[in-house]
Amino acid sequence: MKNSRFYIGLVGVAMVVTFLIWTGFDKAMVYYLTPVELMAKVAEDDTFHDIGVKVSGRVVKGSYQAEGAFEHHFSVVDLAREDASFRVEYRDILPDTFSDETEVVIEGRFRRDGVFEATTVLTKCGSRYEAMPEEMAG
Amino acid sequence: MILLGEFALWVALPVSIWGIVLAFVGGHRKRGDLVLSAERSVYAVFFLLCLTSLGIILAFVGEHYEYRYVWGYSSRELETYFKVTGLWAGQRGSLVFWVLLLALFSSIAVFQNRRRNREFMPSVVGVLLTITAFFLGVLLFADVNPFERLPFTPANGQGLNPQLQNYWMTIHPPTLYLGFTSFSVPFAFGVAALITGKTDSRWLVVTRRWTLLSWFFLTNGIIFGMRWAYEELGWGGYWFWDPVENASLLPWLTATAFLHSVMIQEHRGMLKMWNLSLVSLTFLLTIFATFLTRSGLIESVHSFAQNTRIAYIFLAFLGVATMACLLLILWRKDDLRAERTIESFLSRESAFLMNNLILLGSAFAVLWGTLFPLISEGVAGTKVAVGPAFFNRVNIPIGLVLLALTGIGPVIAWRKATRRNLERNFVSPLLMAAAVVAGLMIAGMRGFYALATFAICGFVLTILATEFWKGTRARARIEGEGLGRAFLHLIARNRRRWGGYIVHVGIVLMFAGFAGASFHTEIDRSVEPGDQIRAASPYGHEYVLTYQGLSSSRTPNMWQWVALMDVSRDGRRLGTITAEQRIYSTADQPIREVGIRSTPLEDVYVILAGVEDFEGAVLNESSAQGAVFQVLVRPLVGWIWYGGLVITLGSLIALWPGAGGPARRKVQATPASARLAKV
Repeated sequence: MKNSRFYIGLVGVAMVVTFLIWTGFDKAMVYYLTPVELMAKVAEDDTFHDIGVKVSGRVVKGSYQAEGAFEHHFSVVDLAREDASFRVEYRDILPDTFSDETEVVIEGRFRRDGVFEATTVLTKCGSRYEAMPEEMAG
Repeated sequence: MILLGEFALWVALPVSIWGIVLAFVGGHRKRGDLVLSAERSVYAVFFLLCLTSLGIILAFVGEHYEYRYVWGYSSRELETYFKVTGLWAGQRGSLVFWVLLLALFSSIAVFQNRRRNREFMPSVVGVLLTITAFFLGVLLFADVNPFERLPFTPANGQGLNPQLQNYWMTIHPPTLYLGFTSFSVPFAFGVAALITGKTDSRWLVVTRRWTLLSWFFLTNGIIFGMRWAYEELGWGGYWFWDPVENASLLPWLTATAFLHSVMIQEHRGMLKMWNLSLVSLTFLLTIFATFLTRSGLIESVHSFAQNTRIAYIFLAFLGVATMACLLLILWRKDDLRAERTIESFLSRESAFLMNNLILLGSAFAVLWGTLFPLISEGVAGTKVAVGPAFFNRVNIPIGLVLLALTGIGPVIAWRKATRRNLERNFVSPLLMAAAVVAGLMIAGMRGFYALATFAICGFVLTILATEFWKGTRARARIEGEGLGRAFLHLIARNRRRWGGYIVHVGIVLMFAGFAGASFHTEIDRSVEPGDQIRAASPYGHEYVLTYQGLSSSRTPNMWQWVALMDVSRDGRRLGTITAEQRIYSTADQPIREVGIRSTPLEDVYVILAGVEDFEGAVLNESSAQGAVFQVLVRPLVGWIWYGGLVITLGSLIALWPGAGGPARRKVQATPASARLAKV
C-alpha cells in the first residue's frame, strides 16, 4: 500500500481539526439566553450564577446611569415579557449605539445579588431604523 | 422613471423564466435558435434590472419618501453620495443590487461564449437564469419589494445609520456582492459539465479567470469590511467572528480551496468529483452568506435585516440546490473517476490536498460555530453560543499550518519529492525561521503564537524570495537581460504562477499583521486640557499625548465635537491626532469617530470615549473641556492593509487579460484532454 502514509496524514489532519473544534467548544461555549430563561435557569440550578452567560434583551427606558465614561448601570428587560428584568453593571466603554430601548446582547455573569456583571455589551444596531411607520404616523 | 423601474422588476421575472425554459428545452433538443433566444433574455433581464436600479437611485436622489425603502435609509440631510449608495444600504435594495450584478456577470459570460463552448451554454444560461429568477421571486413575493409604498408621504426619511456613512462601508458590500455573484459563473459551468457529461477539465479552464475574479472581489470585500470595522466601529479591532463576518469568510475559504484543487485536476487529472463538489459548495455558501446577512436568522451585532420570512424561502432554495448538486454529481459518478492516484505523502498533490482539507476544516469549524446557537436550540432547546475565543482557538493553529503551506506548496515536487528536492528547498528557509525566532527572543519577544507566526512568515518569505531570485537569474542568464528586466519578463511570461506567489507574499504580510494583535496595549483616562496620557509601545517607545481641548461645529447632517491631541514619541513631537463625537440629526446618540495615526510599525488609535459637558463645549466654555479618552497602541495593523494591497496586485497580475503565459496558449491550441494525456 503505497498510499498508506498519505491516508494516515489525511486522517491525522481530520483528527486534529476535530480535536481543536471539540476542545475549543469546551472552553468557549456560553449559554445564550433571554432574561426569562436566565431567571428560570438560576431558579433551577444555583451554579448558573457562577458561569458566563450571554443574554439578549432590551434596555429599560430611563434606567441608564453613568459614573464617568467607564462605569455604567442600566436595566435589561425581556423582549417579550415586561416582568423579567435585572440590573446590569458594566465597567468599560459602551458602544456608540447604546441608548434607551435599544436591543442589547450582554455577556458576563449573573451574580447572586441579582446584578448582572457584564464584560461585553453589544448593541444590535440598525433595528430602530426599521421602526414601523404606522407608529410614527400615529 | 421610478414607476418604469418598478415595472421592469415585474417584467424581469417572466423574461427570466421564459429564458430558463428555452435554454433547457433548446439544449435538450439541440435547437440553436431556442438557445439563442434564451441568451437574449439574459441581456434583456440585465437591461430591465438596470432600469430597476436606476429607479431606486432616482427615488433616493429625488427624496421620494413615500417608498418605504427610501424612507428607511435616507433623509434630506444626507449627502448625495450616500443617497446613490442607498441602493445597497438595506435588505431590499441590496437584493436588487445582488441580482443586478448576477445579471451583469451572466451577460458577460454569455457574450464571451457567443461562439465558444456552445455545448455548455444552454445549461449555463439555464442555471444562471434560475438563480436570477429565484432572487426576483423573493423580491416580488416575500414582502421585500423595494418599491413598496407607505400609506402616506412622510416629510423626511429616517436617515441612514451613521455607522454606514463611511467610505469603506459604501464599497464593502458591493465588493463582496461582486465576489458572490461572479462565482455563479464557474458554478453554472460546473453544472453544465455535469449535465452535458463533458467532465474533463475544460470547464475549469473556461472558468479559471472567473474563479480568480470572484476570489479577488471576495478577498477585497473582506478586507474592506475589516478596514471599516477598524475605522468606524471604534474598538480598535478589525475582526470579531461575528456571524455576518463569518458568512463572508466561508465562501472565501472554500473558493481558496477550489482555486488550488483545480490545479491538481489540470496537471494530474485527479479530484474531479472533489472540484465539482467544491464549486457547488462555494456557490451554496455565497447564497448562504447573502441570506445570513440579509435575513436576520442569526443574531448578529450588525444584522441589518429583520424580515424572517425570507429566511425560510432562502433555506428552501439552499436545500433544493444542494440536493440538485448532489444528485447531478452522483449521476455522473463514473465519469468523475481520477485518472491517477497520489504517489507520495511528500508531493505537491498532497500539499494541495492538505491545503484543501485544512481550508475545509476551518470552514467547517466556522460554520459550526456560527450555526451552533441554532443547532443547540433545535436539538437541546437552549441556545448555546461560542464566542471569538472558540474561533481563535481553532483557526489560529489551522491558519499557521496554511501559512506554512503557502511556502511549501509552490516548491515541493509533483508526484514524489526526493530527499534532494526537500533539502534544496527547505534547509535555508528553516534556518531563516530559526534565526527569526532567536532574533525576536533576544529582542525580548515572548508568546508562542506570535513567535510561531513570525517564524513561519520568515520561512515562507525565504522560499518565495528564492523562487523569484532563481527564476530571474536563470532568465537573465539565458536571455542576456538585466536583472530588473528579467524579473518583469519572468512574471509576464507566467503570470498565473508568479501572480499567485505575489498573493502568497501578501498573505504572509497579513499574518504578520494579525500576530501584532498579541501586543496590544490600552489606556483609559479622563483628562482636562493640558493633561498628558502616556502609552508605552511594545517596541519600547513611549508616546505622550497632550490634550489640547475640544471644539464643536455644526453641519446640516450633524453636530460634531472634535478633541485635539498633540502627540510626541520619546520626546519628539510627531503631530496631532483628532478624535470626534458626532450627533447626527437623525439619531439622538453620539457616535464616535476615532483618530488614528498610522505608521508601518504601529498605529496609535485614539477614541474620544466621553465628553463631560456637550452643551458647555458648544458654547466654548473653558470649564467644559473635560473628556475621556481611550488610547490604544496597535502594532503591525498597517501590515494587514499593505498585505491586502499586495494580494490585490498579485491577483490582478494573474487576472490581467491577454495571454497568461505559455500554459494558457497551449490550452487554447489543444483540447484539454489531449493536453492532459501529454503531461
